[in-house]
Amino acid sequence: MFPEVLEAARELQLPLLAALLLLGAAAKASPRSAGTGAAVLLPERLRGPATLATCLAEAALAVALLTATGLPGEAARVATALMFAVSVVLLLAARRRDPEAGCGCFGGLSRAPIGWRTLTRAALLAVAAAATVGSPLSGWEVASAPDPLHGAVLGVQLIVLALLSPELREVAARAATREPCALREVSERRTSRRLRGSEVWRTNAKVMIRSEPEETWRHGCWRFLRYDGMRHGRRVDVVYAVRIGGPRRTGVRAALVDRESGTVVATFGAVTTLDLQGPPRRLPGPRQAARRDEAAGRGGARPGTLAEEPPGESGRALPDGVRASGPGV
Amino acid sequence: MTDSGRDRRRFTAAVLGAAAAPEPTPVHHRVARGVVVDSTAYMLCLATPNGEERFLYERATTFWRGGEVLPTELRPGDDAVVLCSHDGRLVAERVWAQTARATGVIVEREGDSLRVDPGHGRPRLTVVLPYRSSGRISVRHPRLEPGYLFDAVGTWRDGEVRAVRPVTTQPPYPLRSTPHRPPVRQHSTTVTGIATWYDPAWGRSSHLDPRAVVNGAAYPALDPVGHEGRCDRRTSCLPLPLLSTGASLNLRNDCTRDTAVVPVVGCAAADSWLCDLCPACGSQSAGRLASLTMTSFVALGGRLEAGCFNATMTVAEQEG
Repeated sequence: MFPEVLEAARELQLPLLAALLLLGAAAKASPRSAGTGAAVLLPERLRGPATLATCLAEAALAVALLTATGLPGEAARVATALMFAVSVVLLLAARRRDPEAGCGCFGGLSRAPIGWRTLTRAALLAVAAAATVGSPLSGWEVASAPDPLHGAVLGVQLIVLALLSPELREVAARAATREPCALREVSERRTSRRLRGSEVWRTNAKVMIRSEPEETWRHGCWRFLRYDGMRHGRRVDVVYAVRIGGPRRTGVRAALVDRESGTVVATFGAVTTLDLQGPPRRLPGPRQAARRDEAAGRGGARPGTLAEEPPGESGRALPDGVRASGPGV
Repeated sequence: MTDSGRDRRRFTAAVLGAAAAPEPTPVHHRVARGVVVDSTAYMLCLATPNGEERFLYERATTFWRGGEVLPTELRPGDDAVVLCSHDGRLVAERVWAQTARATGVIVEREGDSLRVDPGHGRPRLTVVLPYRSSGRISVRHPRLEPGYLFDAVGTWRDGEVRAVRPVTTQPPYPLRSTPHRPPVRQHSTTVTGIATWYDPAWGRSSHLDPRAVVNGAAYPALDPVGHEGRCDRRTSCLPLPLLSTGASLNLRNDCTRDTAVVPVVGCAAADSWLCDLCPACGSQSAGRLASLTMTSFVALGGRLEAGCFNATMTVAEQEG
């Protein structure tokens, strides 16, 4: 039984090392991690290129461990073992030079000072890489034909690696902490996706002339988008405010502003702050209401005029200054 | 202020309420800027955008031109900023002439002269370190090498800045090694830090250039989406809310307790790189809130040669 476990563990190292090397290379490729880790031993101008070179070397070794067999495969395994062994020495030197320096193994995630855990991990990985020398299979062959013994060994090894990785705490901290919405940088595409999926957007779709915003600006938690619009023959600015973060359903507000007079014609999406006049009652369905309005001779607003109702009645309370200039439309 | 900024405030107010976008305070009537036409022992004649203006002196009136000078040492053609006394726009309380400031990262050094990149698409400045002030500057800027930050006040001469006094302590690491701000959990609409100044007209023809007397501030946390032009900013060390040009900041000078609402008119990339203290009165918090234009800075009670004051900033945001 024991030799079988040992053989399974030996075979398993190939895909595992390849996966770790690929993760490390991907983390080092981010621009934030330039010049971290053992690169502190180099002069300032060489740190960025050194990190890039390490990243490329790790990616190449990972691919070789997964695919190569025979002599190239053996060479890749020896090179991996050597790389981890050298990294132990470099990490010790970096720790002597700057006790606060992170190991940079996983780029910006490895900011914790180099400690015994990091050093043990690098040493164990060097041993693991050395153990794979002479294995007839390639990493990909092992990964594509797994058996339960491999699974058990992998589980044990992952637990050991997790205990030796200070990066996990950083990952957990990053996942748990979200920056407040006012400070969060959000792409334009994301805002636009949230806007286009909202009820407020669909309500105003007919008013807008173009599908691209004329202007975009930010105010803390809100991103504003202004579109050109035409409402009852008059030019209006359709201004959307999209909340960064927060509940999705209430995240979009809009205001229609008459371009000539600057009056707010309508607002959408905000919760009313007006006191309701009388008890709330059940509203009739849209078709029923339309039929009733037709019977009473109260059609929609005629083309060429703006809606008669003063702004803000159907939405939230408008500020006094805006309301004072409201009925001038 | 541009129309675009006013429109943005109007639209912001329409959606979030008037409190979210307060109207900027007009430029203070106590501050004037222009070009010196004549300066005698008892009167200063200044060509300003409003025409020619004359200012009398009091016994307490002081003049700065790279150092305290006599009124007769101001030369015709000098760019001057005048702070009038409380009584009105007739008597000057303090006059600054040819004031210049170089804030940014050093990109080149040749002997006594440096090239400084302010980082927001504005042209690079040539800074000359005269022998007289080089000792004082090297105390607070020990590494005058490419990649390190620089911030000093001086005077304009032949299109170059002659540095007179440093206004910050240089960080001991180059700009690219600046540590990142740890993630912030709590955010408040009121932030304390320091306010600095910049000259949007580069000291040239301040009587004609409308930018010379613009009321506003450059902001170090501009949202990159929708910002035209280059803004080479980093994440500031203060938890500043992201804004765009046109937003209004409520600033308070913690020393003089003056307050004003100033519109955001540009990007202050260099202010997002520095995380320094201001050796003035009031609260002592590190990090730069905004770079006011010269006239707005003086109107808020700042001293140009000091370069900064401690300030409290509020960005109104009504959740509604």
